[in-house]
Amino acid sequence: MKSKLATLLMVFILFIAGCSSDTNTSGESSSGGKETEGVSKGGNVSIPIVGDPIFNPWHPNAYAESNLVNRVLFQGLTKPGLDNLPVGNLAEEWTTSEDGLVWTFKLKEGVKWHDGEEFTAEDVAFTFNDLVLNASLGSNGASNYKALDKVVEVDDYTVEFHLKSPFASLPAYLAFNSEILPAHKFEGVEDPWEFTDFNKENPVGIGSFKMGEYISGQSLKLVKNAEYHNGEPNLDSVTFKILPDVNTQIAQALSNELDIFVLEDKSSLARIEQAENIELVTADITRYFWISLDMENPKFQDVKVRQAMLHAIDRETIIDSVLEGYGEIANAAITPDQKQYFNEDLKTYEFDPEKSKQLLKEAGWEDTDGDGILDKDGEDFTFQFDIALQGDLEQIAVLVQQYLKDVGFDVELNTMEWNAMIQKNIIDRDFDMILNWWSYPSDPDIYAQYHSSNAGTGNNIPGYQSEELDKLLEKGQSTSDPDERAVVYDEVQEYMAENLPYIYLWYPKELSIRSNRLSNVPDMYVGGALHYIYEWSVTE
Amino acid sequence: MLQFLIKRFGQSVILILIVTLITFFLINLAPGGPASMMRMDATAEERAALSERLGLNDPIPVRYGKWLGDAVQGDLGPSLSSGQPVMDRIVERFPHTLKLAFWTIIFSVIIGVVLGIISARNRNTWRDHTINFGSVIGLSIPSFWLAIMLILLFSVQLQWLPSAGTGEGFVGQFKSMIMPVIILSTATLPTIVRFTRSSMLEVVSQNYVRTARAKGMKEKTVIYSHALRNALIPVISIIGVLIPRLLSGTVIVESVFGWPGMGRLIVEAAQSRDYNLVMGVTVVATVLVIFSNFIVDIIYSKVDPRVKNIG
Repeated sequence: MKSKLATLLMVFILFIAGCSSDTNTSGESSSGGKETEGVSKGGNVSIPIVGDPIFNPWHPNAYAESNLVNRVLFQGLTKPGLDNLPVGNLAEEWTTSEDGLVWTFKLKEGVKWHDGEEFTAEDVAFTFNDLVLNASLGSNGASNYKALDKVVEVDDYTVEFHLKSPFASLPAYLAFNSEILPAHKFEGVEDPWEFTDFNKENPVGIGSFKMGEYISGQSLKLVKNAEYHNGEPNLDSVTFKILPDVNTQIAQALSNELDIFVLEDKSSLARIEQAENIELVTADITRYFWISLDMENPKFQDVKVRQAMLHAIDRETIIDSVLEGYGEIANAAITPDQKQYFNEDLKTYEFDPEKSKQLLKEAGWEDTDGDGILDKDGEDFTFQFDIALQGDLEQIAVLVQQYLKDVGFDVELNTMEWNAMIQKNIIDRDFDMILNWWSYPSDPDIYAQYHSSNAGTGNNIPGYQSEELDKLLEKGQSTSDPDERAVVYDEVQEYMAENLPYIYLWYPKELSIRSNRLSNVPDMYVGGALHYIYEWSVTE
Repeated sequence: MLQFLIKRFGQSVILILIVTLITFFLINLAPGGPASMMRMDATAEERAALSERLGLNDPIPVRYGKWLGDAVQGDLGPSLSSGQPVMDRIVERFPHTLKLAFWTIIFSVIIGVVLGIISARNRNTWRDHTINFGSVIGLSIPSFWLAIMLILLFSVQLQWLPSAGTGEGFVGQFKSMIMPVIILSTATLPTIVRFTRSSMLEVVSQNYVRTARAKGMKEKTVIYSHALRNALIPVISIIGVLIPRLLSGTVIVESVFGWPGMGRLIVEAAQSRDYNLVMGVTVVATVLVIFSNFIVDIIYSKVDPRVKNIG
């Protein structure tokens, strides 16, 4: 009996041992610290991501973690320049027709995919015609290309983008998660989203680093592509470590196991500031926080009510406390990083509860029965404030709720899980008030979030409709001259600040952790700097 | 024995069916949908296209029927987020969790039994009190907090242990397991200590132990040859109960320590409403719990000769 039991146990142990024999990661990065022309060559940079990536920028499940990886593996026709304006990447130059409906891109010649095949116009045409414009695929970001009709191959190194309506920001959008995929790999593939051999295992890219080794749930190692079209990268490898927990990420940065990442959670800031091996870098990003009110609700239709709300919220204090100072007050949707378009002289709404009450009174809302709640024609100003449990949103919402209560709004806070919030607020459009943010390519074209045609089902969440704003947005899309655009978008921002289609809160700043051993990282947000990862270097 | 096996098998099948039914309806009725459709900037057309592609337009009972039909043939379907077969994703992650769970059980049993015996033999002394106090602390400290504290101490300050990952080579793998196993053990070790202690105390007050002592046997022989074997029987049965607790513990431990196991997979799956993956992990976890309880029952019958005909 005993021996049988022992055998059983033995088999079990062997089974476990067999299962757990890990694939050994091959070869450490070899050279390190060899100096050439002042830039050290070799070495590895480690970057955390929160989940397993999908090596296909257009895949509906390619989220933030995939975007970072795909930016290194693949390339777009354009990329953000150091001043955030789009510059050429796989495309060398471009021109636009008189009516703005045909854009011609000259492609770089002699660029090779990681498998040695040559990059041509066919790849561009495939990416847009077969993936992005195929409505049944629901490609990630396809809605950005609503104006695109088709891409035409003129010759091997020339493509034309034919548009249905003018789209001046096309080059900026092409720099934003719009990497080109190799047509030859997708030949004969029936369903590009189920092509897991490419999307999850063996992607063939064209970027500065190519596929090395990937251990699901743990790490992804990319190795140098010596033939990279912008020049040979300095680093030997880039390792993306899959670490969902922010505290682990911070611990790893402190112990020199991670080199660069965005710090979303600022609660451990004090500890990080003391560390000698890392520095904190702030950068502008194209993002703004807003409150959206249901514009079909008559209570919110009066602009004075919206202005009163903004006067009631002490944004300065929220920025100082919750954001630890990393943000600035927003008055409109165009972010300060877009220096050539950002309008500094806008109407601003300082924190002034008295002014808020005054505006509400003008709108007919006053606390007549002394219960501390505004009323009008016997009806209290009561509404629900839905908030998703994500990052510091809840913390912000509690403060906003208190500020609104102080001037007499009866606000009930309703916290929800992210997924549930999207279902209720965004899909069903069932809300009174919500608070969230938009990130967008560094270009002032914010048509998607504001045009009347996008109210109800599109990204115009409040459902704000104004002919005046629509005309301005259409004009902005049809003008490709930067100076003319600047005039139009100045007006757009003035309109926004005055009428508050959304209630603007602040432009957050990106705070990132960067190891002291890193150098030659351009002075921009982490996501942008990744476009230049071939220039990065490390000192051992 | 055969009859027992058949009966247990039948029970298990019914149990698995009930678990999958409940899980399927719960996850599908939760508000929201697969993460690809739940992006802030997705438009209604994009969502409609995805819903159609993922086959989510059928009523839930119809979808459950389809899922079950495929599942009994061994096809758990593709993951809704990556497109890979669910089975592949589980096979990739499962060994890592099994490894953690196995070593946690081994560690908890060895240390737990030893501490339990010490505690029982030194009843109501400072040793007993210290061990008891330690058990209470272990059970009540939130594991994510303790995990972060351990990382700060051993990885950041002392730089002895890696803060995340499964490590390379024998030494690397061993080092990377130390902290996760310790954290997971906080959920199992105290229970084993307490069970061993009380069961030991019960056994040593039995007549046969008194007889053994009266015969003039050495205390060590009395404890280890006579009392311990009987005292361990309830301890073995508790291991079966601890397995589900261990599996739920991996959810936190794997996230904090960047451990590529199933605990993290189920969290990712639930958050992204990857219905197929949630179902797949649920089935595997259920089977694992049933199987381990079954093994425990067998061991139980071997250790205790009185339990000849279980069931």
